[in-house]
Amino acid sequence: MEKTVEVSNVIKSFNGQTVVNDISFDVAPGEIFGLIGPNGAGKTTIIRMLLDIIRPDSGEIKILGSGRPEETKDMIGYLPEERGLYRRLTVMDSLLYLGALKNHQSRERVLELLERMEMQQHKDKKLSELSKGMQQKIQLIAAICHDPHLIILDEPFSGLDPVNMKLVKEIILELGKEGKTILISTHMMDQVERMCSRIFMMHRGKGVLYGSMSEIKSRFGKNTVFLEFEGELKNMPGVKKSNLSGNYAELILEDRADTQDVLKAIARDVRVSRFEVSSPSLNEIFIKVVEE
Amino acid sequence: MTKWITIAKHEFAYNVRRKEFLIMTFGLPLFMFALIGFPVLLAGGGGTDKFTIGYVDNTGSFNSTNFTRYSTEELAKTDLLGGKITHFFIIPADYISTGKIEIFSKRSRTQGTIESEIKGFLLDNLLKGDNKDIMARVKNPISSEYFTLNDKGESGKDDLSGLLISLAFAFFFMLSIFTSSNFLLQGVVEEKENRVIEMLLSSVSHRELLTGKVFGLGAVGLTQVLIWQVIGIAILSSGPVASLLKGINISIPLLVFASGYFILGFLVFACIMAGVGAVATTSREGQQIAGIFTVIGAMPLMISQLIISKPDSIISIIFSYFPLTSPITMIMRISTGTVQYYEVVLSLLILAFSVIVIIEMSVKIFRASLLMYGKKPTIPELIKYVR
Repeated sequence: MEKTVEVSNVIKSFNGQTVVNDISFDVAPGEIFGLIGPNGAGKTTIIRMLLDIIRPDSGEIKILGSGRPEETKDMIGYLPEERGLYRRLTVMDSLLYLGALKNHQSRERVLELLERMEMQQHKDKKLSELSKGMQQKIQLIAAICHDPHLIILDEPFSGLDPVNMKLVKEIILELGKEGKTILISTHMMDQVERMCSRIFMMHRGKGVLYGSMSEIKSRFGKNTVFLEFEGELKNMPGVKKSNLSGNYAELILEDRADTQDVLKAIARDVRVSRFEVSSPSLNEIFIKVVEE
Repeated sequence: MTKWITIAKHEFAYNVRRKEFLIMTFGLPLFMFALIGFPVLLAGGGGTDKFTIGYVDNTGSFNSTNFTRYSTEELAKTDLLGGKITHFFIIPADYISTGKIEIFSKRSRTQGTIESEIKGFLLDNLLKGDNKDIMARVKNPISSEYFTLNDKGESGKDDLSGLLISLAFAFFFMLSIFTSSNFLLQGVVEEKENRVIEMLLSSVSHRELLTGKVFGLGAVGLTQVLIWQVIGIAILSSGPVASLLKGINISIPLLVFASGYFILGFLVFACIMAGVGAVATTSREGQQIAGIFTVIGAMPLMISQLIISKPDSIISIIFSYFPLTSPITMIMRISTGTVQYYEVVLSLLILAFSVIVIIEMSVKIFRASLLMYGKKPTIPELIKYVR
């Protein structure tokens, strides 16, 4: 089947500094794809090139099988990392104008989405009168109100409270179920771990990991223990590295270590309330990849 | 592709509803009217007083139906102080040889109208013996018409219309550029500041956005100037300048050329301003850069004397083809009637071509520098973008 996004050998540099260095990946129709990496890895630059806001120095980008951006812009929904809307326009006017620019202005769909986001009572307010979180939700509606095939979300969770974070996650999953192709770019790797089917991980302009979540996880083995406990951890034979946060810890085991021996050793010092053997988190995988 | 029309419509509707626009559009004429009109009205109120004039004739040969004659200076003084007359004058016995007239009034300054009334009275009496036509001619001896001969010896009637039209054109043109460049700069810089630009560019191309902005915001500026013009004409045509406007005859070719030069010239400046807006990080900075272009645009006005008196000089000809100066220069030259049609066509073509080139250049600069928030590109960088 034709790929929704095809990026081949793309290079982009600003002022002699290579920001995106020979990147290739593709996104299949209907999948939720993660473009992940720390701040400054080059994710936003790639997204801007996908949208033809800037052009690559070399390499090729195809969206929905077409290399001509004027043909595909209307079919892409975009939530930029730099959020911005007309502060002096009303919510409704802004959304209808942005819809018109996609050749798809639908009052019904805008109203439906406002209701889904619990924002319908604010539709005639000016953007400047809304809180930051509300503006974020309006921005998300602006990205999807023209019923796009491909939805590109750059840092969709930044600046959201837990309730809205959950709401946005639900909406992303719903859109995925509707068959939309979704590309999420984020540095919050733990947020997308359970949402994305495949990821492309970047570090300093280069691709460092690419593949399906399950394949990547199995590649790094079941060498991680998620631990919840009471007391003070002291002696941990067989543990190569530990990330402690309060009563919670992520332990990376040595290659030959036996999980049962580790448990026994830990249980001597503390009360264990959770001991889960798992693959490492994306954060941990990222650190490992970068250290190598 | 009609997205640029959507953008133009949006920009127009968004901006003409803004408070700043309404205050500027209707407030400025009101302010100007208050500044100029108020003192005139006050002074005009005093001018409606009727003069009653008396005179003392020491030569014994002056008669009047309008003025009161007094036999002695003392009697006239009493009536002036008593308020029966506002002025009186004395014709000395040696008036014919000296021309000396002494005018008295209670107010220190005597208006010019008094003097002209007295002058009429004196002429009437001095020319008593001559016929009425000669008397009228002496009072108004010249009514001039100027003619210039061209190379073939054909004569063309000279009037001030051409000059007035070209000055009006220059004024209207500069005013439109000034106001619209403000809107364009603000419009583009503001979009960068509020970060909507990325949303817009994910939907439309840079060219569509720029074109939409140029037309939408340009229309905002023109609307403002048009409203000012309508208000201005309404005020002028009711005032003393009305007779001056009646004397102007506008030839059809001049009107056609003027419209052509206006539209194309305006587009050149509007596209430059949009490009400047794309480079500038704040609208203040944008205005400084834009000022350079506006000054170049106003240069034909500064040397208008040279262009009108020597329309075939090298500077006039260079200015006629350089896109930033050609609109005003050419209209001035056309109005002096010394320009060949092929020159007009050539300069219009250059102007139209430069609109296209400037749009392309602005689009490239726009694309390259739009997302460099807070950083102004250097001149070598700009040259690189344009290539």
